[in-house]
Order: sequence, then structure tokens, then C-alpha cells
Amino acid sequence: MTSTQSPIIASDLVRIFGSGEDEVRAVDGVNLEVTAGEVFGFLGPNGAGKSTTVRILTTLLKPSAGSASVAGYDIEVEADAVRRSIGVALQDAAIDPLMTGTELLRLQAVLYGIPRNAQHERAGELLERVGLSAAGDRRVGTYSGGMRRRLDLALALIHEPSVLFLDEPTTGLDPMSRMSLWEEIRRLNNDGTTVLLTTQYLEEADQLADRVAIIDNGKIVREGQPEALKTDVGAPTLLISVADDHVEPAREVLAQFGEARPTAEGTLGVGLTQGAGDVSNVVRALDAQGIVVEHLELRAPSLDDVFAEATGHRLEGAS
Amino acid sequence: MSTMALRRRDQIGALSSRSVLSLVRQPSLVVPSLVFPLFFVALGTASFARAINIPGFPKVDSYLDFALAGSVVQGVLFGSVTSATALATDIETGFFDRLLVAPSSRTAILVGRLAGAMVYGLAQTLFFTVVLFPFGLSIQSGFLGLIAMMIGGLFTALAVGALMSAMAIKTGSSEAVQGSFPLIFILLFFSSAFFPRQTMDGVYRRIADLNPLSYLVEGFRSLTIDQLTLTAVLQTILIPAAISVVGIGFSLRTLHNRLAAS
Repeated sequence: MTSTQSPIIASDLVRIFGSGEDEVRAVDGVNLEVTAGEVFGFLGPNGAGKSTTVRILTTLLKPSAGSASVAGYDIEVEADAVRRSIGVALQDAAIDPLMTGTELLRLQAVLYGIPRNAQHERAGELLERVGLSAAGDRRVGTYSGGMRRRLDLALALIHEPSVLFLDEPTTGLDPMSRMSLWEEIRRLNNDGTTVLLTTQYLEEADQLADRVAIIDNGKIVREGQPEALKTDVGAPTLLISVADDHVEPAREVLAQFGEARPTAEGTLGVGLTQGAGDVSNVVRALDAQGIVVEHLELRAPSLDDVFAEATGHRLEGAS
Repeated sequence: MSTMALRRRDQIGALSSRSVLSLVRQPSLVVPSLVFPLFFVALGTASFARAINIPGFPKVDSYLDFALAGSVVQGVLFGSVTSATALATDIETGFFDRLLVAPSSRTAILVGRLAGAMVYGLAQTLFFTVVLFPFGLSIQSGFLGLIAMMIGGLFTALAVGALMSAMAIKTGSSEAVQGSFPLIFILLFFSSAFFPRQTMDGVYRRIADLNPLSYLVEGFRSLTIDQLTLTAVLQTILIPAAISVVGIGFSLRTLHNRLAAS
């Protein structure tokens, strides 16, 4: 597929907030190309620049520099055409609690110019699709977090967009609601919808995304297919916990088996250069130094390792 | 009508229904703006019954006839603050972004939000008149005058709502909008809402002369206490209509600046 056909293209996007000493480069030279029909995961901690990038691409925010096109339209010059082509579910599912699900869908249908005679049917279809038919006539204020997110998704689909932006669609949801939303996103993608999804959950990116971009401090630090990124990291990570007074000697022992890996506090990590077979050698070496291992865990390379290798800190547990 | 104009009309209609619905579904927001102005009228009528004999006071049957205009403007002001607060809440919660990210007309977003205040302004005028009739209220300009007052109430709500909306868009804070309420209240007291300017003097008179609310109230009042005249109708409708045009333009400009800066 050529660049001109890609539904989302961003070139050197920059967004600066404030000025002088208070200047913050929330997005700092982001380049993206999302091809038709893929789920693209935008992974990073809070404040990394994910949502700001999405706000620029969905025309809510003007870039300070750079350019982007969405669904073939320039986000600044043809903002209205972009809005007509995309579906957007923003963070926090801002939904008027005083309105019912059906009323909100019909309002959304009017905003997107859906003919009056088709509005009711479309609202009914979407409520059924996201499993809210029974709750359609209830005020949204009575919905659970998961129901709100599903309604938010239905609202984004009112005009059958070819490109869908989902900004942290499952943040704060319980595991069941998360899985049900994942299923719906997969179904939409199978139907041909291109999805750009931001998330701070590694598993979500791993489960859903065909390709992932890892963003930190406004810059994309890694991009590729999740499996390829994990393979690039190579060595599995051995995580150990030892008593406080054994930390430094343990660190010296681990250094013999590979490079230290960033870990959560209280844990030491090493990328085992020789692979998983080296675990017994590590245990023996620690034992020889009289170091008592309180906890030991071997992890296959994960997106968190990719993130840690690229940024020097871990995403898991950071947010 | 072009497709664009038709879409805008539909969008204004749908967003207007939403703002009216949000008022209907939140009686706790509506009730104070109906009760407080009536409370002031009751208090005024009881306390200032003999004030109508002060030299300079217009010829009225009772203070109640004089007070209706002030209560209408007071109620409409309260209602408009509620409407602008709802707009600020939309910004705070992110619902405003949902509207902006849709291919919706910016004018429709703003006017749709203000429509609730407009309908409410019209309904308030009728409500105060109907409630006060059994207590001896008379409207000298008759039924046509009442219609003119209701239209005036609608435009007053639009004018004040539009100006307050500019504040809501600028600050994006419902607290800031609500915080303006005491200022509006003071502005109302320094107008001819409760006493005619002819009975005032000194600084108080000068402020009342400069206060645009005085002229708004006096338009309504002349329809209550005088025969129907074109001047009174125009004053009641055109002053708030003109402020509405300025207010909407100002709000749209603020919205444009907010979108450019955000």
C-alpha cells in the first residue's frame, strides 16, 4: 500500500503548550503511518503525548508544527471532511448523564447528517450491537462504567466511519468489560475499520494491535509489530528479590549473566544473554556468595521489556 | 435552503431539544429562578406599598404592577446563568469535545445550548404573569403586550446567555460562571429593577443611568403599566435582540480563540 492510501499519516507533528520556562513539548516530532484495515496501538504512560496526538489527528487541537492527513484529508485545511470520515471515542467517555442512550444516539445521528427516517433504526442497531438494547431508554447517569464505554463506542460508529480513534477505551474498566470491548474492537476491525487505539495497558496493545508505537515524552521511541519488537529485545528477563543488605552483591553477580534491566523498586532484573538455560547458573552463583533469593521469576520478552529497553523505565505499574 | 443550511437547522433543533430537556430534567436548577423573583415581588409589595405615592414614581395601581418587570428580568438572569453553567459543565466533562469532533456547525453548538435559556426565558415571563394575576397584577398593554414581553424575555435570555457563554467558553469552568452570580445580582440592585430612576439621586442614580439592565427592565415595565406603544414593544424586544447579536458574535469569537489556542 502506498503512503497516499494510508488512512492516517502524520509527519513531524509537534505540539507545544505554554512558552518560555513553562514550555512543554507534549508531542515532539511524531511520525506515523497507519495502513488501511489495521489496528494501530499507541502505547505509553500518562502524559506521554498519546491523547494530545489523538486530539490533533481528530481536529480538536491544532499542531504547533508538522502536518497530518486522516482519511485522505488534511487535518487543518479540510478539518470538516476529516470529522465526517472518522469516529472518535475520547478518554473518559464524556456522555450527558441526563440523556438516555437512544436520545444520545439520535442526537449524534443529527450531528452527522443521517436522514431522519434512518435515525431510529440506526440507533436501535447500534444499541443491539453493543448489548445495550435493554438499557437504551434509561438515562446514562444510571449506566455502569462498562456500559458508558460501550455506548461511547456506539456513538462513534453512528455514521459507519472507516477510521476509528479510541483514546484509552478500557481505562478504569473491570476485566469482563474490558474483554467485551476488545471483542467489539476485533469485530469492527474484521469488518474493515482502521483503528488507532491509545492505551497504557501492555496486554491491550499485545492483544489487539497489529502494530504498536511506543511513545514517551512526546517522542515515538519504538514502532513495529508486537512480536517483532519483543524478538528484538531478545533475552528473557530474570527478576529476583533479595534481602536489602544483599542487593549490591546480587547486582554484581547478575551482571555476569547479562545487562541489567529496569525493574520495579525492590527487584533486580537481568536480561539473560544465554537464555533461560542460565537460570540455574545464576542461582548457583548467588548461592555461592551466600545470597538468599526471596523471589525469582523468569519472563519471556514482553512489550514492557521493549518499553524499558527504549526508555530506561517500565510502563507496568507506572500508571 | 442549501444542504449545509438544512443540516445546521437540524443540528440547532436537536441541540436545542437537549438543552430544554436538561432543564426539564433538573428541577432543582429551575425552581430557585422561579421562586426567588416571586419572593422579591412579595417582599416588595408588602414593604413598599406606599412607595408608589413618592413624587417621581410612575402612576401604577400597586407596587405589584411596578415590580413585575424587575422579577421577569431577575428570573431570566438567573436562568441564563444556569444555562451558561451547563455549557461550562459540557466543557469540563468533555461533552463539548464530542460536539466539536463531529461535523457540527459551531453556531449550532452555541445557539443550541442557549435555546434552553430562550425557551425558559419565555416560559418564565408567562409564569410570573400568570402567578401574579390572582394577586391583582394588571397588564395595561393587554394580551399583545404580554406576547411582546414573552418575546422580550426570550431575547433577554439569549442576550445574557450569550454573554455568559463567552465567559463559560473562555474559562471552561462552571465554578467561574456560577461565581459571577453575585455580580449580576449587584448589577440588578443598581438598576431600576426595584425603584424608578426618577426617585434616585447621587451615585446610585448615575450608576442606574449607565446600567443597561435599567433600560431592559423599563421596556418590560412600560408594557405593564402603560398602554401598548410601538416604542415600548421595540424597547422590550430590540434592546435584548441587539445585545444578543453582539453576545453571540462575542461568544463565537471566544470559541474560535479557544479552539485556536487549545
